[in-house]
Formats: sequence, structure tokens, C-alpha cells
Amino acid sequence: MRPPPQQTTSFGWQQWLAVTWLGLLLLAAVGAGLLPEQYLAPDLLHTSAPPLTPNHGLGTDPLGQDVGMVLLFGARVALCVSLPAALLAAALGTLLGLLAGYWGNQRLQLPACYWLSGFLAAACYVLVTVPSHGLVVWWWPLALGAVAILVGRFLSCITGLRKPIAFPADWLLLTLITLLAALPRLLLVLTVAAASEPTFWGLVVLLTLTTWPQSARLVRAEVQRVRQLPYLEAATAAGLPPWRIVRHHLLPNVWGPIATTIPLSMAALIALETTLSFLGVGLPPEIPSWGRLLAFSRVAPDAWWLLALPGLCLLATTLSLRQLLPVNKQRSTI
Amino acid sequence: MVRQVLRRLFQLLLTAWGIITLLFLLTRTLPDDQQLLSRFTDTTTGTTASGEQVRQAQQARLQRLGLAEPVFYASRATVPIDDEQLLISRWHWNGTHNQYHHWLRDVVHGNLGRSYRTGEPVAGLLGSALLITLPLSGLAALFIVVFSLLLGLLLASRPHTGWVAMGLYTLDSMPLFVVALLLLLLLANPDFLTLFPTYGLGLDNEAATSLPLILTAPAYAVLPVASLVLTGLAEPTLQLAAALRHELQFFYILTARAKGLSSGRVLRRHAFRNALLPILTLYTELLPNLLAGSVVVELIFALPGLGRLLADAAAARDYPVLVGGVAMVVLTRQFSLLLADWLYQLADPRIRTTG
Repeated sequence: MRPPPQQTTSFGWQQWLAVTWLGLLLLAAVGAGLLPEQYLAPDLLHTSAPPLTPNHGLGTDPLGQDVGMVLLFGARVALCVSLPAALLAAALGTLLGLLAGYWGNQRLQLPACYWLSGFLAAACYVLVTVPSHGLVVWWWPLALGAVAILVGRFLSCITGLRKPIAFPADWLLLTLITLLAALPRLLLVLTVAAASEPTFWGLVVLLTLTTWPQSARLVRAEVQRVRQLPYLEAATAAGLPPWRIVRHHLLPNVWGPIATTIPLSMAALIALETTLSFLGVGLPPEIPSWGRLLAFSRVAPDAWWLLALPGLCLLATTLSLRQLLPVNKQRSTI
Repeated sequence: MVRQVLRRLFQLLLTAWGIITLLFLLTRTLPDDQQLLSRFTDTTTGTTASGEQVRQAQQARLQRLGLAEPVFYASRATVPIDDEQLLISRWHWNGTHNQYHHWLRDVVHGNLGRSYRTGEPVAGLLGSALLITLPLSGLAALFIVVFSLLLGLLLASRPHTGWVAMGLYTLDSMPLFVVALLLLLLLANPDFLTLFPTYGLGLDNEAATSLPLILTAPAYAVLPVASLVLTGLAEPTLQLAAALRHELQFFYILTARAKGLSSGRVLRRHAFRNALLPILTLYTELLPNLLAGSVVVELIFALPGLGRLLADAAAARDYPVLVGGVAMVVLTRQFSLLLADWLYQLADPRIRTTG
């Protein structure tokens, strides 16, 4: 058996270059965390100074901030936003994709009586509350849950209510994805960011909530493919509990597709974050960012270094992230 | 057939309604009322005004912005917790006198509300903005389709075109606003090369130059369209080339070659139609995506279009304009989905027979 030729992963000079750049970026991000904030203080005597000015090797922006320092701190912000958001989105997408792919529309079934009692209890919880303080807060939902189970038991005496009704997990996931995809991602994030004026972590959560559908789709497709295979039938026939099947028989298949989405979504997220900062709705203005530096180049059209330097950083980062993937996967996901 | 189309249409409208409602509620509940008021009222209350006067003035401003009523049919009850009562309702029913109900009723009647900033009707703002944006994105979409078809065929037919693909990758890795800024600062910069006019559409100096608008506008449109095309070109081209290469491995290509067709003809007439199927959606998605891209491009080139309107509204927290513009993009995307369905039926007879 000869392995097909395109499977060999070559680690050429491009990959070395990419890894080196990403390593430098990581170093810059960690290093910027150790530097005191006063390096960002504006130098009012040298505003819009070109590169190679004494003390400002890479020039300054119209506010007098050192471009090199803003790039350094901006690298930290770019990584600190995109990496957690990409990882969280991958995790959330994997979880939802696994559940929807495993359960499908038919496999999670409950008798109608439990649906009925559960629905009534949930409605009760949403509509009315009881006066309670401190630890007692928990007794109301707990009591409702217990009553729901008892009522369900009781109702199951009625034959008509014993018919099982399936929970449409797959349908729910697809509806959610359709709803999120109804608007280009830039506009969706722009609108919500404008409404909520997010903090740093607010932005990470917002980006996560708009990025997970890609990985969820991939995982769902992979799980649906694997579910047809004989070994899964064997696992089911052996009587393994569902969580064990999901954990040990489905999850290992999913790592491959998920690992390819993380660098791509990181690249897309860095681009999105800089665009938001450029438009003035992203992070709070006191946080340095490559996008804000690029926004300055509109105000000062003769200051080429305000466009070239952050632009090059952005380009190098995106290209490096894509180089981490096999050649046939290096497509954009924006 | 008709029932299928109607069902699909209903689904699409339901999706659009869902997301727009969600965004409306988010923009009405998340921002702080006081901050909004201080943003959109320029009157400074004098130091002599009594507390009662200030409160009344604020109420009047809320009334003017349409924010005095409750947001939705039900709002969270704020009754003090009373230990005597056993069950307390979490919600307070507001009836139909709420912002959402009035907004929805107005939208159905074609009235999208008024801008917080200027008080102009949103529908009029959107209409005049679309007059700029639609030609711009339409032109960009046309160029992207034509160039990506040509380039895709070229990439698939000729070996040694790796540098074209490399260039496309590089363009694809840059965000749209960086490409637009690069073009602006390279080709419309008085310090460097002044090939094209920088800002706007030249509407102001129309009186000065005797040339009619139809002759001057193209010069102003070159750079915005070019930046949209350059960043949008990579994905459809590379996908088409990949799909064509995939199709070229099949035996029907060998058959076509064996019966004596030239390789160009095989590519264009046999492989192309099959390769087009997976990328049709990319083409139908072009228009909504370009509308989103115009947010960046029109801001950079100072064009008074839909994107500029949205970007300004987002930066200034002018929510009626923002939600109205976004609703327009949502509808465009839903109709592009419908168009994709129809094109698939046209391009693939297998779908036609089973559907």
C-alpha cells in the first residue's frame, strides 16, 4: 500500500518563515504585557514624525505615540482577542455540532407527557417568581422541576400521552445558523458593537457568538458521516452509554477538521477586529490597535508609515496563519 | 412548484423578520438612555433649572426620539418584593402601546422611522444612499463574475500560473480597508501619484466643470470599485479553478478529448458547467457581501452611499438608520438565496426533476 502523494506534508521555507513570524508575534504579545504603559505616552514634540527619527525608530502617529510601541501593544491586543475567540468558537461549535449530529432530529425522544409537564413548569418559571432571599432563591426552580417530574409520571398513566416525541436538535441548530447567516458578519458585529459599546471581553464574546457556525457545520457533517459507519453501530449494539460514544468514538474524528478551522478563523477575526477599530466601533479608544493606527493614515495621507507598517504586520500574520494549513485548505473563511 | 416557491418565500421572510426583530430589540435595550440623550440633544440645561424642569425636558426629548414608551409587549416587572404575596409575576404586560409594535406597524406601511441625529425619515436617506451604492456594488459584482470566470479558466487550463494564484492569496489575506487605503494613498495622493480624484463623487464642482455627471462619475468610481473587485476576486477564482481541476479528472473529459475536441473546448463546454455548480452560491452572495464591504469602501472614499450611512450611524449610535439599513441588507441576502435556488434549478437538471 503506497500512501497517496499529496498526503505528504512538506515543511518548506514558507512554513519556517510563518512559524518564525508567529513566534515573534507571540513574543511581542508577551513582551508588551511586561512593558509599562508609559511607553505609549504621546511625545507631543514629535507628532507625525517619519521613521528613523531619534528615539522613534518607526516614526510616530499624529497624536505623537511611537508607532513601534503601538505595533507591539497592538500585536498583544490582536492575539488576545483572536486567540480566545477562535478557541471558544471552536469549542462551542464542536459541542453544538456533536449534539446536533449525534441526536439528529429523531434520536432524542421523550414521552409526550414529560414534554407537557416540562413545558408547563418552564412557563411557570418564566412567568412568575416567588419572594426569596439568599440561598432560598434555589427552592423555586427545584420545586418546579420536582413537580414537573411527578406530574409527568402521573400523566404517563394516560395511554394517549405515552407517544414519544422527538427533540429536533438538528433543526434547531440549522435554524440558529440560518438566523446568524442572514446578515454578513461584519454588519452583524458592527450593529451589535454599536449598540453595546463592548469592553474587551464583551468583544471576545461577541466575536465568539458570531464565529461558531463554521466549526459547528463542519463537526455536524463529520458526525453525520461517521454515524453511518459500522463501528459506531457496533458501539451502540455493545450498549455503550451515549456520552461514552460521543466522547470516545465521535470526538476523535472531529479533531482534524476543527484544527484546520482555528488558524483560518483566527486570521478572519484579526481582520474583523482591525476593521472594527478602523470604523471606530471596536475596542475602547484607549486600547492600542493596528486598526486605529491604520485609521490615522486617512487623516495624514503623506504619512506612508502609518499605512505600510501595520498593513505589513497584518498581511504577514494572516499569511503565516494560513501557511500552517495543508495547501488545499488555505482558503479564506471571511 | 408554486407551493414550494411560496413556502420558501415564507421561510426567508420569517428569517429576515427574526433577525431584524432581534437587532431592533438589542439596539433599544442595550444602550443607556441617559447616554443616548446626551448624544442627541445639544441643549445644555442651565444651572438655574429646577430638578422638575430637567426631568420634564428629558421626558420631552425621550418623546421626540420615540423612546418614552416601553420597548416590547412585556417588560420586566419592577414591583418591590412583597413577602405577603405568594406568587409575583416577573413580567409587566404593556399591551400594544410599545415601541416595537409601533415600529413594526410603520415598517409594514413603508415608514422606517426618523433619524435620531437629523430627524429626517430613514426611508428617504436609504433611498438616496442606494442610488450611489447599487451602481457601485452592481458594477463590482459584474467585474468580479467576469474576471473570476476568465481567471479561473486560465488557472485551470495553463500550468505555471502559480504566481497568479499566489497574488490572489496575498490579496485575499488583506482586509478590504487596507487594500482600499493602499489604492487611495498610492493612486490618489498629491504627494505620490494623482491618477484619480480622491474624495466623493464630484457632485460639488459639477457647476464648475461643464462636463455632465455621466462623464465625470466613472473617474470617481474607479478606485472604490477596484478595491471591492480586488478583494472579492480571490475566493470565486480559486474555487472555480479547484472545481475545474477536480472535474478534469473524470472519464467524460477523456471521452470528450478522445472524440477530438480541443482542450479549450473540453474545458469550456464540458467541465465548466459541472464546475459551476459548487460556486453558484458564491456569485449570488456577491451582492449582499459587497453591500457589507461598501461600509468600509464608502467611508474611505467619502461616497454618500448606504455603507457610509451605516458606518456613520454605527459610529454615532443613530439606531433607526442603522436598523433600517441593516434590514435592507438582510432582505437583499434573503433574495439572493432565492436567486441561488432558482439558478441551481436552471443549471442542474437533476434538481429540476426531483424538485
